[in-house]
Amino acid sequence: CKIRCNMDVTAVDLRGYGHAEESSAVKIPERLLKRDQARTEDVERRREAKESQSVPEDKRGFFSDTFSRERAAIEELLAGCPAADRAAAAQTLEEATTKTQRLQKFLNDSMVFLTQYELRQAQASLQKLQTSLTDKREEALPKKKFAFKSRSKVKEEAAAPVSDTPSPGDTPADSGTTKVDGSVNSEQCGFSNMDSMVLTLPAEEILKRDVLLTHLTNCKVRLFGSPSTLHIKHISGCEVLCGPVSSSVFVDDCRNSTLAFPCQQLRTHNTTDTQVYLHVTSRAIIEDCHGVSFAPFSWSYPTLDEDFSLSGLDRDRNNWTQVDDFNWLAAGTPSPNWTVIPDADRKTSWDP
Amino acid sequence: MGLLTILKKMKHKEREMRLLMLGLDNAGKTTILKKFNGEDVSTISPTLGFNIKTLEHRGFKLNIWDVGGQKSLRSYWRNYFESTDGLVWVVDSADRLRMEDCRQELSALLLEERLAGATLLVFANKQDLPGALSKEAIQEVLALDEIKSHHWCIIGCSAVTGENLLAGVDWLLDDIAARIFTAD
Repeated sequence: CKIRCNMDVTAVDLRGYGHAEESSAVKIPERLLKRDQARTEDVERRREAKESQSVPEDKRGFFSDTFSRERAAIEELLAGCPAADRAAAAQTLEEATTKTQRLQKFLNDSMVFLTQYELRQAQASLQKLQTSLTDKREEALPKKKFAFKSRSKVKEEAAAPVSDTPSPGDTPADSGTTKVDGSVNSEQCGFSNMDSMVLTLPAEEILKRDVLLTHLTNCKVRLFGSPSTLHIKHISGCEVLCGPVSSSVFVDDCRNSTLAFPCQQLRTHNTTDTQVYLHVTSRAIIEDCHGVSFAPFSWSYPTLDEDFSLSGLDRDRNNWTQVDDFNWLAAGTPSPNWTVIPDADRKTSWDP
Repeated sequence: MGLLTILKKMKHKEREMRLLMLGLDNAGKTTILKKFNGEDVSTISPTLGFNIKTLEHRGFKLNIWDVGGQKSLRSYWRNYFESTDGLVWVVDSADRLRMEDCRQELSALLLEERLAGATLLVFANKQDLPGALSKEAIQEVLALDEIKSHHWCIIGCSAVTGENLLAGVDWLLDDIAARIFTAD
């Protein structure tokens, strides 16, 4: 900032001299005057250049020219990718990737003045570029696919002969990870791709674990216990009841459903026409939601009290009415995207 | 003595660093910030806006900016890029469904010119959850090995237990210090 201020001061000084010269004919070195003139001209030129760019038509023309030129350059790069030489191929691919990413950024930055059609066209050709880039990479540098691999077998073999001493295959002490050995997928439990089913999980299966519910339609889900987190994604027409969740619940793309759970945080995204019977000890938020309504948690099951203490949630603190809508930042006016369920309309009895 | 040297000296005097903490929503950014600062983490709400903490660590003054990660807030991230010395990217290691989102947001971020000089620390957070991916798996999913533009490091941590938070921040400080406070 200091530098910028200094520059301003210089400019003012010069103007002051200029003025002084007119009135009282103080001599200004010609060199200085010339410099000032050059500066003014430069500023003028830049302003003109900027103005000419801000005409939308020109901008669009500039965009489509640059876009197609860049695209052609990347296509050429890909076409000329040497398949035999691994190192050279890697380098070419890297260059192409960077260029593609730049192009995506260029498109993102230009979004404001493009028409829908142009935008779609550009997105489509970028998509095509991405695909051919991936194909080329597969072809030139075949790489093992990422997979959630089970490392338990190797571990067991390594650990078997040396029972008491730490096995050499163990993770080094400095590594920051908690060991995720054992089949990783089994750590996450839940249901997915079900239709018109009654789904339940007992306490011991969900205790301190991540529960994931995805792609469920017209299902009744009962989770009698205290999971660590709960993720609900792509569900419609469901009734999901869950015991106290010790950290956060994450809801995404949920329709015409009823949810009930105690939790520490609730984040709700892309959800419409859904009722939430909530106990939340910090806060609930909604984003890109519509027709979401809230009421206090009222479901109960035999071990609820125990699960509450297992979860560590404060039973006396329920902020279910304090919902932040990230699409409604106007303070004072309530968000139109969520409501409180009136007393009379609240569900009081739950099916088992 | 060039301008850069003067700037370096000015910074050196204050030994001040600006760290920007970003990541998808629910990654645990605020929890990391509060835990690092020794505050209560049980009452944290999803961040609507941002939090700033200034704290002293190893003789450095750290200005840590924690900006909300909700989708609707991500377009505001750019307002915080200026003069960032270190970028802390926080990942919810248990959120497998959004790893791809996470990768895309990070790679878009790394193209930003104003972050070009920043050191990148990736926190693979929530390692205390049984379903968490290991930091190696996350390194692979986020394609960190392809990053050539920034110094980077990935560290598995848990904001709830505080495990490895210090190790991560220490690495970040060392890397930044080596870059901006070099002996003239």
